[in-house]
Order: sequence, then structure tokens, then C-alpha cells
Amino acid sequence: MNEALRNRKIYPVDSPPGRTALAPSRWAADFRRTMMIFVRVVAIAALVIWALTTNGLLTRISLLSLLTSVSFIGCTAIGMTFITISGNIMSLSLGATGSVCAMVFLAALDLGLPGAIICAMLAGIAISGLQGFIVGYLKANGILISIAALALILGTADVVTGSERIYAAGTGTEILKGSFAGVPVVAFAFVACLAIAQVVLSFTVAGRAMLMVGSNWRAAEVMGLHNGVIVTVAYVFAGVFATISGVLLAARYGSADMDLGGGYDYGAISAVLVGGTSIHGGSGSILQTGLGCVVIALVQSTLLLRGYSQEMQYLITGLIVLGVILLQSAGKGRRA
Amino acid sequence: MKALSMALRRPQARPFLILAAVILILGLFNPHKVSYFSVASVFSVTQSFATLGLVALGLGMTMIIREFDLSVGGMFSCAGCIAVLTGGRSPWFGLLCGVGAGALGGALQGWLITRLRLTSVAVTLGGLLTLQGLSYVLTGGNSIPYPNLGVALAVNAPVLGILSVRSVVAFGIFLIVGLVMAYSRLGVEVMATGGDRRAAMVAGVNTDRVVVAVFALSGGVSALGGVLLSFGLDAASPIGLADVLVPAAAAAIIGGVSLGGGVGRPLGMAAGVLVLAVLQSGLDAIGGAHQFHDIITGGLLLTIAALDAPGVARFVSAWRMAVSESRTHTRSPASAFNRK
Repeated sequence: MNEALRNRKIYPVDSPPGRTALAPSRWAADFRRTMMIFVRVVAIAALVIWALTTNGLLTRISLLSLLTSVSFIGCTAIGMTFITISGNIMSLSLGATGSVCAMVFLAALDLGLPGAIICAMLAGIAISGLQGFIVGYLKANGILISIAALALILGTADVVTGSERIYAAGTGTEILKGSFAGVPVVAFAFVACLAIAQVVLSFTVAGRAMLMVGSNWRAAEVMGLHNGVIVTVAYVFAGVFATISGVLLAARYGSADMDLGGGYDYGAISAVLVGGTSIHGGSGSILQTGLGCVVIALVQSTLLLRGYSQEMQYLITGLIVLGVILLQSAGKGRRA
Repeated sequence: MKALSMALRRPQARPFLILAAVILILGLFNPHKVSYFSVASVFSVTQSFATLGLVALGLGMTMIIREFDLSVGGMFSCAGCIAVLTGGRSPWFGLLCGVGAGALGGALQGWLITRLRLTSVAVTLGGLLTLQGLSYVLTGGNSIPYPNLGVALAVNAPVLGILSVRSVVAFGIFLIVGLVMAYSRLGVEVMATGGDRRAAMVAGVNTDRVVVAVFALSGGVSALGGVLLSFGLDAASPIGLADVLVPAAAAAIIGGVSLGGGVGRPLGMAAGVLVLAVLQSGLDAIGGAHQFHDIITGGLLLTIAALDAPGVARFVSAWRMAVSESRTHTRSPASAFNRK
């Protein structure tokens, strides 16, 4: 019984788990950390060897397409990282938010490029920030709220657009479609997003507070942080980066419907987790998420180049995410 | 009147009240004078109940033990594919394979959650992505037809006019789970595990085993729902069936399940599923209004999820306390004295 009590696990759904750790022995912790680093190094080395021995990966075309696909999903993944880090696991409505913003962007394009981007941003901030407000101030469950938001977004978009595709109402998207010095503009946008988001997370009060709230809600409250505001801000950032994803996609394809960002939420959370951000919140980084995106895209494109079917890619990606989640527990050690 | 106000105060009554309200509203706002209470419309309600109900039951049961099974949609579509692929000769064998795979997958997830002390959302997210990939690989990304045409007719054959074999099975499973939850030791243990896991453990409940059992149930019943739907449609497809998570979560929450754990009954969940089913066929009957189904579902889910949030409860209790305090203060002579 005593053993059972010590190994108990409390499953908090509405509040992130506290790190009330009965610290395991130092040696065990060191060993575990070393093992985790070892596993990571081996995994990355294996991936690099696998990629380098794949015929046709190191051609200009395949590298460019890799870069573009990483950039599209990467921006949404950056947004998702804010939600995960703030202790709310994931949002199932982030892909739909991106689609809506893409539609708003295209519809508002007759205001000129900056005006359209601002309109799309406002839409993304409103949709995501509202969810953050409900999650942060009312302490509602983030996943459930995002499911409700997904249904609301899909239904409203269906009513407003009459289930039709939205086409660009103006021009000016060429600059987003083009490339500079042989590198597509979307890749620059993605790198800029990575840098901005990492700076926000690491060097601003809001970012540090998000990490604090995500690692221990109660402690952050006691410290005098306004948890409601912080969670709302995290969701606002998520909305901003999902919007960037949507705008880039819209500029590329010139038309948008609700399927445009469909599945991006699952792709994004996969990248976040593969990057090593803790699903319990409170630790992680944006650059790691970027790395996670690259790893997933690299696995998928090498599988494709080696002649595996697209279906196989889905399965392998799923297994990788599952494996990473299970490994996270090994790195975490026993929590009392 | 007193009975009604008593009923309103009982949280278990909420799903039934919402159901009554939905039926009433649909009956009142009826621009085209559609007859809702025909046999055909009731049959369509029970058919959508059969499609959604079992997934909602699985998800709701994991919510009762304070977990969340994201993978129900994956189980639903993957089991359908497995059943159609293996059940070419005998549909019973296909059913067994599909439901068995679901229950096994669910139990495996429950085992990982308890052994590795991971949150259920994390494990079932990995499970969902893996299951989706698996169903893509199994079907090659296409919709695959089921050669056994007779099975579709048999599964959808009307029973007593308003039910089909499919919906009878769904209602039967709800009944069995409801009875087990209400009258067996296991039911009490499940509620205790959800209410306060540590207290349940101290009281001698093997909570790990309860978690594994509930996840096995969740996987099994979602798989059963998927198998029956695929048999009924004569086809299985890896896409399109995965969007079942939103209505399932909505049905469970409308059905009175709380994410806080330890609250909710299968009977309430059945009412929650019926709310969505009635709403769907009612809006379809009005015509052109089916887009509003998503909006109403999302709105209901958002409202109830927000109202159930702990922040609201705290706000309400603080407000009540402030009100009662201000009352006692104005009445007490001391405060009257202070005011002078």
C-alpha cells in the first residue's frame, strides 16, 4: 500500500500538474538525463545518416519543397508551442483559425497587402484570444474549449461563405509567393517568426510568465502573476502565428476554404512534441519546435523519396509522436 | 411546480431538460410545418444515435475517471477498416477483429498511462495519430467497399419501426454500461477513481486497473460503433470518419459529464447524444439549416464547458458570500453602530 501511495499519480485535468517531486536519487536523475541525451543524439544521427543516404534529397527542388512545407506548418507549430508551454496541452482549432484568417486575408485583399494582413491578424487574435480568455479567466479546459471553438468556426464559416471557396479580391500577394536569393520568401517569414517567438518566450516578462504558469499554476498565482491575462496572451500569440501560416498559404494558393489549414493542428502538436516541449507545459522552446518541424518533414520526404506510400508516412509520423511522448515519461522520472 | 424546481436543481436532470427544450423549440419554430413525430424522423434520430452514441459513451466514460481519450475517433475509423478487411467471409469474424483491436488498443493506452504515469491526452494523441496512419495504410488511402451486401441490410433492418439492429445494439450497450455503473462494485470504483483518485486508492480500489478497464471499454465501444457504421454503409474509409470527436465531446458534456471527474452517468450521456441527434434531424427537416448544427453544437459545448469551469464556481460562491455577508452586516446592530 505504501509503495502504491508513493507511486500514485494525480491526474489534474483542469490545472497543470505541480512539480511536487519527491526527488529521486541524484545518481538516478543524472543517469536518466544522460540516457535521454544519448537517445536524442542517436536518433538525430540515425536520421541524418538515413537522410544523407536517400537518393535525390540533396537536390535543389526537393530541398526547396522541404523548406516550403516546413515553413507553412512551422508557423502554426510556433503558435501551438505557446499554448502547450502555458499548460493547456494543445488547441484543436488552430488549423481552422488559420483557414479562417486565410479567407479573411483574401477577401480583404482589395485594401492592399498591409490592410489585408492586419484584417487577418485581427481575426486570428480575436478567435484565439477569446478562447484564451475563457481558458485563463474561467479556468475552463483548453482542449474542450478548442473543440467547441472548432465547431463554432466551421459552422460560422459555412454559413458566411455558403460553403464556397474564397478567391483573392485583389493583387499584391506576389511578394509573398516569390523568392529572394533563391530562397522562398515563406522561409524567411518562418525564420523571422522563429526568432521573434523565441525572443518573446525567453526575454520578455510575458514569455517568462507563460513558462511559470505552465509549470505551476498555483505557484504562479501565489507569486502574484495574473494567470488569466498570461494565458490569454499565450493564446493571442498562438492566433498571431496561426494567422501568419494562413496568410502564407493563402498567398501561395490564391484561394482558400476551410480545408486549407485542416489537419495543421495535429501536425503542429506533433512538431511541438517531437521538438521536446513538455506536454505538461512549463518547459520547451520555440527553436526546438522548429527542429521538430524539420525532423517530421525530413522523415516524410525521405520516406516519399524512398518510394514508400503517403499512407506509410502518416503511420510513421504517428509512431514517432507516440514514441516521443513515451520517451518524455522516461526522461521525467518517477514523480511522487 | 415544486417538483419541477427540485428537478432543475438536480444536475443529473440537466441533459433531459436540454433534450426537452430542444424538442420543444424545434416543435414551436417550424416554418414548413414538418412533421417531426413521424416514424421516419424518429428512425433517423435513432440511426444518428447509433453512429455517434457509442463513441460519446467511450469518451464520456474516460472523462468520468478524469481522463480524456482523444483517440476515440481513430478507433472508430480504424476498427471500421479492420472489420471490412477481415470480415469478407464472415461478418462476425470482422466484428470480432474490429472490436477486439479497439479494446486491445484502448487497454494498451490505459496500461501506458498508468505504467508510465503520463497524462491521458498525451498518450491518446499519439494513439490517435498512429491509428489514423494505420487506417490509411490498411486501406491504401481509399474508401474500400464491403462485398457482403446482405450485412448492410441486416444491420439497418428496422426493429419495431423506429429502431434498427444498429441502434438496438447501441441502446443495449448504454443500458449494460448504465446498469454496471449504477449497481455494481465496479461502477462505484469507477466513480471513486474519478472523484478523488488518492482517496479511492486509500480505500482499497485498484485505480490502475480501473483506468485500464475504462480505456479498454472506451476503445471497444468506439470500435463497435465504427464497425457497425462501416457495415451499415457497406464501406470503410480512413477519412471523413475522424471528425467524430467534436460531436462526441459535445454529447458527453451536454450529457452531464464533468471534466473534473467523478460526475456523469451513461443515461445522461444517452440524453446528450439524443440532443445532438434530434437537433441534426430537426435542422435537416427544416431544410438548408444544417450548417447551424455545428454552430449550435459548438455554442452548447462552449457554454456548458465555460459554466462548468472551476473559475466560474469560485466566482459564483464568492458573489453569494458577498451577498449574504452584506445582508448580515446591514441587519446586525454592530454594523448599524459602525455606520454612525
